[in-house]
Amino acid sequence: MISTGMVGIDDMLGGGIPRGSKVLYSMEPGVNGQLFMISAIYEALAKDLSCLVILPHTTVDAFLHDAANLRGSMLQITGRKIAFIDMIDRERIQRSAPTRDAAENEWRARINKLCKENQTEVIFGYFDVMYEEFGLERGFNLLESCPSDKTPTIIIEHLNFEGNHLLEQFIEKLSFDLVVSIRATFGLFPHFNFFTFVHTSWTPMQKRSVPFIISNGRIAPYIPKIVVTGPPESGKSTFVATASERVRSIDRTGLSDDTTPVAMDVGWLHWKDFDITLYGTPGQSQFDLSLPMILKNAMGAVIVVDVTRPDSFARAKHLITLISERRMPLVIAANKNDLPHRMNEVEIRTALDLKKNTPVFFISAKRNEDVRFVLESLVDFITQFSY
Amino acid sequence: MYFYKTGIAQIDGVSGGIEAGTNILLLAPPMSSAEQLAYAIIKPGPGEYSIVLSTNERAAEVVDFFKSAGCDKKFIGVIDAITKSSTPATADTPRLTFVSSPTDLTGIGIKFSNMIESIFEGTFADGETGLFPPPIRFCVNSLSTLLMYRKLEVLYQFLHILTAKQKRIEGVAIYLLNNESFDDKTLSLIKQLMTGVIEVKVDGNDNYFRIMGIRGTQADWQKFTINKGQVTIVP
Repeated sequence: MISTGMVGIDDMLGGGIPRGSKVLYSMEPGVNGQLFMISAIYEALAKDLSCLVILPHTTVDAFLHDAANLRGSMLQITGRKIAFIDMIDRERIQRSAPTRDAAENEWRARINKLCKENQTEVIFGYFDVMYEEFGLERGFNLLESCPSDKTPTIIIEHLNFEGNHLLEQFIEKLSFDLVVSIRATFGLFPHFNFFTFVHTSWTPMQKRSVPFIISNGRIAPYIPKIVVTGPPESGKSTFVATASERVRSIDRTGLSDDTTPVAMDVGWLHWKDFDITLYGTPGQSQFDLSLPMILKNAMGAVIVVDVTRPDSFARAKHLITLISERRMPLVIAANKNDLPHRMNEVEIRTALDLKKNTPVFFISAKRNEDVRFVLESLVDFITQFSY
Repeated sequence: MYFYKTGIAQIDGVSGGIEAGTNILLLAPPMSSAEQLAYAIIKPGPGEYSIVLSTNERAAEVVDFFKSAGCDKKFIGVIDAITKSSTPATADTPRLTFVSSPTDLTGIGIKFSNMIESIFEGTFADGETGLFPPPIRFCVNSLSTLLMYRKLEVLYQFLHILTAKQKRIEGVAIYLLNNESFDDKTLSLIKQLMTGVIEVKVDGNDNYFRIMGIRGTQADWQKFTINKGQVTIVP
């Protein structure tokens, strides 16, 4: 497998990209997604793979500086197996080749020579200029003609003006293995970037979209909202606090001197390349009116139940009904498993009337590894869920 | 509806300025004052912002023009598509950004989006803010250069997106094109994306313009001069 350079995305793809694959990063104009390709280049070089980078739109120096600005560190090419074809080479070809066929032959000759000399394992191509000059099939055929012993992996970035129609051609005519569409919602300005796995050949995966942000030179898949809810005193605040690197809690002291959230707990964590925001709700029924607002745009939910308090399960069941109406991934965190209790999974499932595919995890919300395991499972669920 | 003052009485006097969301093609022969005319029209008024995509002049030269016209440089952004090819290490600042060449439409699109985003977020002008929603004037100088690097079909698609975004942010944009270097098909295709056209001609040492498609304006040729970003109609 070859890494995308983004751990979270590798995980979604089942460990990365199989060698010899053809990968497309399709960029909608104006969307800041150049780090997808650049992350893959950095990763391939770090793994000492032999690379050919084709940059018809820029010079090598300008590319290296741009990549360093985006990534936060210079691409280390000294002593590495990397070759480039850049804008200057393209201009030479344009000057020397009188016809399109001649230019195509010259491109092919240069690519072949570099591939042969370096036994290229990965070709990175900025494709839109080649597409413009030679068309889809002839342009891509130039990259495929690389005469290495092993079929190289080909990863291209393409500025896509033609939308899904062009993506279908990459999949159907060119048999691409992975097609990732990088887009943004554009209101007054692009405020919400997301990528969509349009097609993967090696793993059964439904088409799905994941928002992302750029943080410290990395693409961070972004889960803007996971809601943590459950009956009162089931351990929701503890769950959010244990999971989060930073947490804010809006509390009111109750009669028993316990603190009970009357607004919400908000926690943030960066984990496995994901940036995740947790919203812990109050558990009392008088706050049910605010639940739809809190659930709006949520990508998943954790229901925390207290396994020592079967009497609270009716309330949990009601919350599950409210969340199920929203159609989102849901997991059950059966909390206080470290205390004496009698409920097993079957009894919990029966009491909550759970669907078969709703997972139940026995945890202590005080234990970081338990909480992270619940979140890991939910994130996995979210990234495979068709919203 | 916001109206962008141009300093040209034939436009401002009739309709109060150019309507928000307008895209204007500025057709002109080489060696005319078209570039100065375009800059004069997109010069930011109080509380407004201007962005120039420059394929002909370095960012510093563009900023100098606006400074000489009395503008506050904090409200001027430039996407420079020429400097980086000779000075690859040139680094972006919040208002001066660089792409490697006019070929790089990916980079141009991203820099444009980033600038618009920073204007809306209020981080563009060193903490100073103008009007909200921000009125943004935009100039592409020039389509002629972009057409030397990319095919018409591709540039058309790119402009289709750019003009649509310009409408959505309720800006005003002006696109320079040398009308002597391109055929009628090119001109008519690009005109399809525009709301109006300003045409410039040179007769002897004199420059003339006429305005077509901008509401309320007459399409007569007007002799004009420009001094420090101020357009004067010569009777």
